[in-house]
Amino acid sequence: MWTPVALSRDVPPLVVLPVVAGGRELALWRSASGRIAAWADRCPHRGMRLSHGFVRGEALSCIYHGWSYGAAGNCLRIPAHPDLEPPETIRVAVHVAAEAGGLIWVAPSAPEAPPPDPGALQPLRSLTVEAGTAAVLSLAGLAGDTLARGHLAGVEVTVAVQPIGPARCALHVLTGAAGAAERIALSRELDALRRRAEAGEMAA
Amino acid sequence: MTSEAIRNEWYPVALASQLGPEGRDTRLLGEPIRVDWAAQGRPRVRAADGREMATRLRYGHIWACPGTPSRELFDIPEADQPGRRLVDVGVVRVKCSPLRAVENFLDIAHFPFVHTDILGAEPHTEVGKYDVAIREEVDEVWATKVHFYQPQAAKSAAGGITTEYMYRVPAPTVSILYKTCPPRPGEWDVITLFVQPLEENLCEVWPWMALFDDETPMTDLIHFQQTIFLQDRSILENQLPRLLPLDPGMEIPTRADLTSVAYRRWLKRRGYTYGAQLVAA
Ligand code: FES
Ligand SMILES: [Fe+2]
Repeated sequence: MWTPVALSRDVPPLVVLPVVAGGRELALWRSASGRIAAWADRCPHRGMRLSHGFVRGEALSCIYHGWSYGAAGNCLRIPAHPDLEPPETIRVAVHVAAEAGGLIWVAPSAPEAPPPDPGALQPLRSLTVEAGTAAVLSLAGLAGDTLARGHLAGVEVTVAVQPIGPARCALHVLTGAAGAAERIALSRELDALRRRAEAGEMAA
Repeated sequence: MTSEAIRNEWYPVALASQLGPEGRDTRLLGEPIRVDWAAQGRPRVRAADGREMATRLRYGHIWACPGTPSRELFDIPEADQPGRRLVDVGVVRVKCSPLRAVENFLDIAHFPFVHTDILGAEPHTEVGKYDVAIREEVDEVWATKVHFYQPQAAKSAAGGITTEYMYRVPAPTVSILYKTCPPRPGEWDVITLFVQPLEENLCEVWPWMALFDDETPMTDLIHFQQTIFLQDRSILENQLPRLLPLDPGMEIPTRADLTSVAYRRWLKRRGYTYGAQLVAA
């Protein structure tokens, strides 16, 4: 099961940030060369959140004691013991991350199918809403689940839906060729949608 | 109800210099307490039912024992040494286990990453061999011969130096750091962390210092220590699990973590589990 967690554009090289997918807290990060990765958000050393860490080159380092981890989640270096070759057993739990259609998708282990591809669209923005997925989609009048489609402010949109909790989700919004004015109107409509959903408004 | 091993310890509950006549309503081990002054400047600490606890006024702070003290409040002989400046740093509230706060204070390997350019800096990240022992005769954890390169070891240190430290845990929520004192070779600066456990996942931390430093303005000394601790707080509030694991398996210690390993073992063997978790739990 793939979960969309961010717009590709919002995670440039050397960035790490916390995301939630399938009920798990993950550190999402992109290496200098552009490789995207999603790992358990917990350093095996002393449990610090890796999403507070820093990216150097192709490795993610923990902010607490600087242990760094390579592409496979294996520990590369323990700064307190620079001459020590870290044992193979020190590993961060790695999830599968992939990109399709301007979105970053995450799955706990390699699914059979590649992530859904929304087609050639433009990223608009992501927003988090403090309301359940189903309530938000029906209030917006959008159809579908992971990739929901419809119209907002008169603009055709595709929304990748990321459930975060029973009363929280994130929407990653893509559009076709829309002009600047339409994009602004759509963005305002999304803010209004969030306010209404968070105020508990239900679809008529 | 917490166990006797937990209730019979001493805990800091207020900074004497900041305790006004109105007193202080706070919490200890998950229960409300009230700290105020009784007659003749004697501190008084009462549980919700009005019961008075054993108290001490020492090291700038008011200490209380909710049970029956298993021993006298630990001694810091340096506190009475002439020529030292005693620094009340104040309080910082941290959403973490009190034990995680103490353990972090015993850790040097984080200096280059968390206190960058103050207490440590890359590439000087190596933690050399040091000695750790549970001193049975006093029932305390001690780490000695700890050396670390510091770009700015203290307010009174102008440039980078290799600093020597000793660490001491005289009570489950107290840590004392002894550190080379640049203006007075042969003496140790004393920096403590007194931790008041409000809940298993919430504490108030009272750093306190006894220094040989006549130059630095008091506000700078306080500010330096607060800056350091606020950096630590961003770590402490983001460690998982929130409770300190006392059994091995959940975390991976290395040689640099031997003080932490001894501290956890010492807690476990005395049955001190407030703010801790056992793997089986
Ligand atoms: S907790 Fe991550 S390096 Fe120590
Ligand atoms: Fe620190």
